[in-house]
Amino acid sequence: MSGSIEEFHSKKAGDGYYERLEAELKKLNAELHAFNNITLLNTGGYPFSAKDNLCVEGVETTASSRILKGYVPPFNATAVERLLKRKFTFIGKTNMDEFGFGTFGLNSDEPARNPFNREYVTGGSSSGAAVATSVMKYHVALAVSTGGSISAPSSFCGVVGFTPTYGLVSRYGLLDYGNSLDKIGIISRSASDTANVFDLIRGPDDKDSTSVSEAPKKEKAKKNLFVIKELLKGETQSYFERFCDKLRGLGYAIGEVSVPDIEKAVQAYYIISMAEASTNLAKYTGFKYGYKNSGFEKGYNEFFTEARSNFGVEAKRRIVLGTFVRSSSVRSKYYDKAMKVRALLTSRLSKTLEKGNIIIPAMPILTPKIEEARQMDSVSVYKMDISTIPPNLCGLPHVCFPYDYAGGMPIGAQIIGSHFSDNGVLEFVQEWEKTFKYKFKYDVGAL
Amino acid sequence: MEEREFDRLVAICRLKLSAKEREDIRKDIDDIISYFDEVSKVDTGREKEAYHPVEMQEKLREDKVVPFGNVQGLLSNTKTYRFYVVGPKV
Repeated sequence: MSGSIEEFHSKKAGDGYYERLEAELKKLNAELHAFNNITLLNTGGYPFSAKDNLCVEGVETTASSRILKGYVPPFNATAVERLLKRKFTFIGKTNMDEFGFGTFGLNSDEPARNPFNREYVTGGSSSGAAVATSVMKYHVALAVSTGGSISAPSSFCGVVGFTPTYGLVSRYGLLDYGNSLDKIGIISRSASDTANVFDLIRGPDDKDSTSVSEAPKKEKAKKNLFVIKELLKGETQSYFERFCDKLRGLGYAIGEVSVPDIEKAVQAYYIISMAEASTNLAKYTGFKYGYKNSGFEKGYNEFFTEARSNFGVEAKRRIVLGTFVRSSSVRSKYYDKAMKVRALLTSRLSKTLEKGNIIIPAMPILTPKIEEARQMDSVSVYKMDISTIPPNLCGLPHVCFPYDYAGGMPIGAQIIGSHFSDNGVLEFVQEWEKTFKYKFKYDVGAL
Repeated sequence: MEEREFDRLVAICRLKLSAKEREDIRKDIDDIISYFDEVSKVDTGREKEAYHPVEMQEKLREDKVVPFGNVQGLLSNTKTYRFYVVGPKV
C-alpha cells in the first residue's frame, strides 16, 4: 500500500477516532447530503463508503428511490465484501440520482451539495461518493458508472474517479441500471489509493457471469496521447488546451484524431440504457424489496401499478422510452441499431488506442449552478454526457482527474485506455499528481 | 407521438402518472425520440450488434445448490405467512 492508505495506518487512529469521525460527518452531512445514511459497521480500518445502489448486509439500500425505502439487503455486494475482508471500515451509503438516472445529481429527494460552493451541482449520478471523497481526508468511495456517473461528479467535485474495463469488477450486489453498461469503480483523492483499492476488489466472481477472468495488463503511462477533435468544444475548451500545453511540457506527444460519428454515442447509449433500465425496474413489484404495499387483495396489475407510482419522474420517463425502443415495430430501428453503433465506435476508438491513450475534457461545460441545471430540458441534459459516454458505451477504462480551477471550481479531464489497460491510465494520473496539487475545502478525519 | 399512443405506452408500462408527471414526460418525449432517430444516420456497414462492450468467451459455472446464509434477512423485506412470501392475487 502507498498513498494516504499507508499514511493513515502509519499514523494509527487512536481511541475514539471513529466516533469523532462519525459525529463530524453527521454534522456536515446535514448541510451537504453526501450520505443517505452514515452507519459504521466496524472500526480499525481505512474508511470506505458505498454508493446507495450497492448492497451492504444489514444496511438500508435504496438507490435514492422511494420504491426501495426500507429495503435491507441480506448480503454484501462482492466489491463491498472484498474490502470488509481486508479490514476496511464501512462508514455509510452515499447519495445518488435515483437508480443512477442523472448527470447533475439532482434526481434525488435531497440532492447532495457541491463542497466548493453549495449553489453549484455536484454532478451525478455518484454525487454523494464524490462529495464524501472531497470532504474526507482518509476515505475511498465505491461508486458506479453506467454512462459517466463516476467522471461527471469527480470533475465537478475535484476528485479522482476511476471507471475500470467492463467486467473487471464483479457487479454482484449492484442494483442494475443497464447490465451491459454498469461498472463498479472507485472515487478517491489520489490515483495511488485508487490503484490499491482496485487490486483488492477486481477479479472474477462465480456470482457474476459477466465478470472476466482476464487480469489488467501491467503497463506504464503511455507518452503518446490523442485528443478527439469532435469532443473539443464548449466552455472547457480553452482550459483544456492550456492543460495540453502543460502536458507537452512534461514530455507527452499530443496528436489530434477524428472519430466519425462519436457524437452518436450519446443516442446509442441512451437507447441501450433505457431499454435495459425499463426491464430491470420491473423487479420492484412492491412486495419483495422493502417497500410494503398494502392491499394484497388487489389484482396483480393494479397492485404493481400502484407500487410503481413510487418511482421518480426521470425513472418513469426512462421506463416509457425504454419500453418504446424495445417495441417490436421499432426495435431494429433503435435498439438493434444502437448496439451496432456501439460495435462500430468500439472498433474506431480501439484503433486510436493501439497508438496511445485518449485524453479529453470530462465535461463540455464548467460546473453549472443548481438552478441553471434544473432549467435544462432532457435532451440538453443528455448532451452534457458527450465526453463521458464514449468510454462507458465501449467498456473502456478511464480516469477523471482535476487539472485546473475556474472561479474556485475544479475542472476535470479524462484519460482513456484500451480494454484491460486500467493500470496504464492510473499510472498516467499518478504521474500528473507529481506536478499538480489538488485542492480541498475540508479534511474531515485528518490525523 | 400522438396522445393515444402515449397513453397506450404508459398503460403497457403499468404506470400511473400524476398530471404534473404526465406534462413533464409528454412535453419532451417527441424531442427525445427525434434525437434518438439520429442513430439511423450512422452507416454501421456490416457491424453486428455488440450485446456487451467486451466480447470474450467466458466459462459458465455448473449450477449447484448452496444454502443461503441469511434466510431471515431475506424474508424480513417481505410480508410472510408460514414461510411463504405474501403477494397480490394473480
